[in-house]
Amino acid sequence: MESNRPRYCLGLLIMFMIIFSLGIERTANDYILAIVSFTGINIILAISLNVTNGFAGLFSLGHPAFMAIGGYTTALLTFSMEKKPLFLPDLPQWLIPVYLPFFPSLLVGGCFAALVAQIVGISVLRLKGHYLAVATMGFLIIVQVLLNNADSITRGPLGLNGLEDFTNVYWVAGWVVVTIYTCWKIKFSSLGRSMLAVREDSMAANSLGVNLFYTRNFAFTVGAFFAGVAGGLWGHLITAVTPGSFSLIMSFNIIVMVVVGGTGSITGSVTAAIIFTLAIECFRPLEENFGIYGVGEIVISLVLILILIFKPSGMFGTGEPNFITGKYKPLNPTN
Amino acid sequence: MKKCFMTIGLFFMSLPLAVPCFSAEPIKIGALYSLTGGMSSIDTPSLRGAELAVKIINKNGGLLDGRMIELISVDAKTDQKAAALGAKKLLSNGVIAGIGHSDPSFVLPSAPLFQKKGIPFVTSGATLPTLPMMIGDCLFMVPFGDDDQSFAIADYSFKSLGVKNVAIWTDNSMDFTKTLSKFYKQRMTELGAKIVLEDFFMMGDKDFSAQIARLKNVSPQPDAVFISSIPNEAGLTTKQLRESGLTLPIVSGDGFDTELIVTVPGKELANDVYFSTHTYRADPRPEVIQFIADYEKEYGVPPENAFAPLGYDAIALIADAITRAGSAEPKALKESLAKTMGFKAVTGEISYTRPSRVPVKGVSIISVKKGEYNVEEIWFPTTK
Repeated sequence: MESNRPRYCLGLLIMFMIIFSLGIERTANDYILAIVSFTGINIILAISLNVTNGFAGLFSLGHPAFMAIGGYTTALLTFSMEKKPLFLPDLPQWLIPVYLPFFPSLLVGGCFAALVAQIVGISVLRLKGHYLAVATMGFLIIVQVLLNNADSITRGPLGLNGLEDFTNVYWVAGWVVVTIYTCWKIKFSSLGRSMLAVREDSMAANSLGVNLFYTRNFAFTVGAFFAGVAGGLWGHLITAVTPGSFSLIMSFNIIVMVVVGGTGSITGSVTAAIIFTLAIECFRPLEENFGIYGVGEIVISLVLILILIFKPSGMFGTGEPNFITGKYKPLNPTN
Repeated sequence: MKKCFMTIGLFFMSLPLAVPCFSAEPIKIGALYSLTGGMSSIDTPSLRGAELAVKIINKNGGLLDGRMIELISVDAKTDQKAAALGAKKLLSNGVIAGIGHSDPSFVLPSAPLFQKKGIPFVTSGATLPTLPMMIGDCLFMVPFGDDDQSFAIADYSFKSLGVKNVAIWTDNSMDFTKTLSKFYKQRMTELGAKIVLEDFFMMGDKDFSAQIARLKNVSPQPDAVFISSIPNEAGLTTKQLRESGLTLPIVSGDGFDTELIVTVPGKELANDVYFSTHTYRADPRPEVIQFIADYEKEYGVPPENAFAPLGYDAIALIADAITRAGSAEPKALKESLAKTMGFKAVTGEISYTRPSRVPVKGVSIISVKKGEYNVEEIWFPTTK
């Protein structure tokens, strides 16, 4: 029987987000606010990668590439017309008068990333396993090289700076809710079930009438859309985007969150994203007071190793905890 | 670590000697350096230089009637996100000025946050000449701009080395090296020299035989080769060029300011290399000698590279401005920094007289002959 519990939980989540953002906006300083915003962006990234890597089992390393596409698109769109010639003297003429407010820019950034994912997906998603991982890594490198060399639009390795700091706790909270809701709906729809089926046994799924290519491409595209949006939020939080930021290291960081949280579990991604973002910051005072820089990263790696040894399926496995789903039996993904 | 505790211990023991400073609250200055990750070999010496400067100032009784300087250091982790977060952390700690970064890609996410609060930020190592324009009136540079160092070596190669045809090699993976080549080309063309070959490589390349083959086959043969690179490739290119039998002069900017151009090819082959850099290496000025002695006494090793004195200068520059302003308020400090004239820093005299607010600073031309570094001349920018 369908339980109403997820709906109540969504309501609770929205209420909590509103109260939390209002509360923290009034009381905390800029530093805390930035950490909270980064945590939110990491949640969006982890969940969206979970759609690709977790639900559909496509091991993609290309997530930062979509972030970069979204980030640069949003940045170029929100750049005011007066500033553009000053910062980008060689910008093509037709791009100069293009201007959009923040929210539509984010959507355009996300859609553009999704479009690129569609095109890339047509060729790349025919690969499996390691080959797919290598191909998406290649895609990430191609994007970085393009950004580094398309000087007239991206200003090369220096990147774009002086973006307005539009991103605040409210924007991030809103997008976190949208991401959680969308991905939850996908997971518990027939499409999501087909994704999980494709992941578990693609041949069996295919023989039952699941269109492998369509399902995989959809998962890849949804992941790319939210990555693009997160890239836009990220750029406007730091107020600068450079090709170097969207590196392989970043894609590993996001993958770690997905793996630790549990591949396929939305609750797991959220929890892991929060823990990882906050833990690194928590070690800062220790590093600064005793001059042992880098200890945070070491502890995190140690935790990762321990989790992979003692709980290789991650904190939540593929399912969601029962108190959210309202079910008292663990969810069996293939049914 | 033990040394650090001892210093702290000594500091507290010496407090009774300085009774007047009991009531004075410390002047907080923030330091943003990448102490982990790829930039750490450059940024760590800068922080050590800055810490040395703070220690010397505090030992001599602090600033403004005995207020001590407190340096709060945050790791930027060679990461833009961490740089921005670090800047926010320092600002919420109530610093009156920030120093840091040796690369513009980390200044760009952090310095605008200082600008927004009206708190001055002094970059100790980023040499992009358009930085003050891009960020605003709160950004100050300790080093010269890339245009100056390129112009300096261009003038020297044209006038003193008599270079009429030149080949240019550029590391195409970094903004710094690309900018350096751009300004060198610009000056050489203005002077009337001809660029006979342009070639590229990427950071991390180990084999330059393709570039060397092209260099050998170009006609007319160049009188010199300009190599725009960072230290790692500086040693390798010098070695491979000399081993291939080419003896033409190699010219470059401060990316060549490293021991690697002697240690990698060996003393015999490290010949006829000229580079422009901060007036510090092989310089006999008293500030430089004093700095090297202090640094060795404190850390037991000589300064690793020119970024150590640059970090030292960043603190000294702020201290000088605070003394002149007679106040440690960010606004007064900013105005007083902008008025800096002829400040005798370890890496040369600093004056902010240009509209671009890049310091007017001497540039050393250093020659390497058979492994020996010598200052050939000090170049000064002509445009004010």
